Amino acid sequence: MNQEDIIHKIRTGGQRELALVYEEYREEFLHWVAKEYNCSMDDSKDLYQVTILIFYDNIRQGKLEHLVSSVKTYLFGIGKNIAKENLRKEKRYVPISKEKWLKESLIDEPSDPIDEESFLRAKSALSKLGQPCQRLVEMFYYEKKSIPEITEALQYKNPETAKNQKCKCMARLRKLFEQEVVQNSTVINHESF
Amino acid sequence: MNHSEKDIALVEKYFDAELSDSEMNHFTMRLESDQNFKTLVEHEKAIVGAIRHQGLTENLQYLEALEANLGDSKRVQLQAPIKKWYYVAAAVTIGVLIVGKVLLNSFNETPDKLFEAYFTPYPNMFEPTVRGNSAVNKRAQAFQAYDQGDYQNAAILFTELLSTKKEPGMLLLLGNANLILGNVETAKANFTVLNKDFDELDIQSKWYLSLCYLKSGDIERARTMLKELGKTEITYANKAKELLDKVD
Repeated sequence: MNQEDIIHKIRTGGQRELALVYEEYREEFLHWVAKEYNCSMDDSKDLYQVTILIFYDNIRQGKLEHLVSSVKTYLFGIGKNIAKENLRKEKRYVPISKEKWLKESLIDEPSDPIDEESFLRAKSALSKLGQPCQRLVEMFYYEKKSIPEITEALQYKNPETAKNQKCKCMARLRKLFEQEVVQNSTVINHESF
Repeated sequence: MNHSEKDIALVEKYFDAELSDSEMNHFTMRLESDQNFKTLVEHEKAIVGAIRHQGLTENLQYLEALEANLGDSKRVQLQAPIKKWYYVAAAVTIGVLIVGKVLLNSFNETPDKLFEAYFTPYPNMFEPTVRGNSAVNKRAQAFQAYDQGDYQNAAILFTELLSTKKEPGMLLLLGNANLILGNVETAKANFTVLNKDFDELDIQSKWYLSLCYLKSGDIERARTMLKELGKTEITYANKAKELLDKVD
């Protein structure tokens, strides 16, 4: 696979493509991190998994369309930045918290992070959404699949139906979110008395 | 908090990157001047963030499962990296010699017993089932059936799906399902197509094809396939060593 093929496959594919890239650069990356930062192999694996997900997300979000360097150089660059940032925060190499890294580097905008309470309520609402809505909104907002792609994958009659379904799912999710907000404020009110 | 349908539609369009220039101006103005509207945007941001977070978490879990499923020999190499080239060369040579010995020796155990000892179904690394999520379409149902060990249904569904479009990962799993179900000739056909038509999963298809030959008692073809594997992939040369121990 050449560089452009890899980007194309990740943009249009699914987890299988993610696995292909993961395996392709794994050994070299893990040895490099373990040696460079004197960390355990398990820590190196954590860092590599976060690196791969950032790479995947950059392609999916349209932030990375063409590479001026090789995929390997790009991945090692991401890994180096994460390791350096981790060192800067902790003064010594400590295992990274993968979920925390993903939220801070891929979901929050540095200048305008998501309110933590709202985020937790939104997560709770999402867990109550049910299928196929959960899958549909995830394909649209995370995987950045187009409406025609979603139509095909989830076997909707036509793109209009898929688009309507997406709007309905989001409306349902907002309602669940509002219920979470109300429920939470009720609990707080009760606790204050 | 109640928000108008119009405001909700505007905010949704913003997050879907569908706003026109004039709508964008209107959106920015409202965001700066209307607290109620700002709250709506903050909530939508949290919702979209939660969706993205869920997707990221699922992919992270997928990579963790993939890491856990990677071959033992690969893991050993990673835990104790061999840096000297001659150690690697020696290991490869030993691997190839072992395969050679397998080929020169006749099998002492029955091929069927060897098959039982060495066959393990290939894990579904392609589209693992997310716990708690029900399968929403035929494709998801097929992978879910495979994950749950319902190979009969998995084979039926994979066959239907592959009739419209051939995919290497699906072919590999279908071959495995057929092999488990005792449909050895069909499994052979699955692995042969995978081997001939795709560059990916080449080693895996050869390994399982060699097991198909063992299962059907076709020792010569099994040997030929094992010989090829021994030349190309140290992981499978190591497996051949295990096989040799049993044969002897």
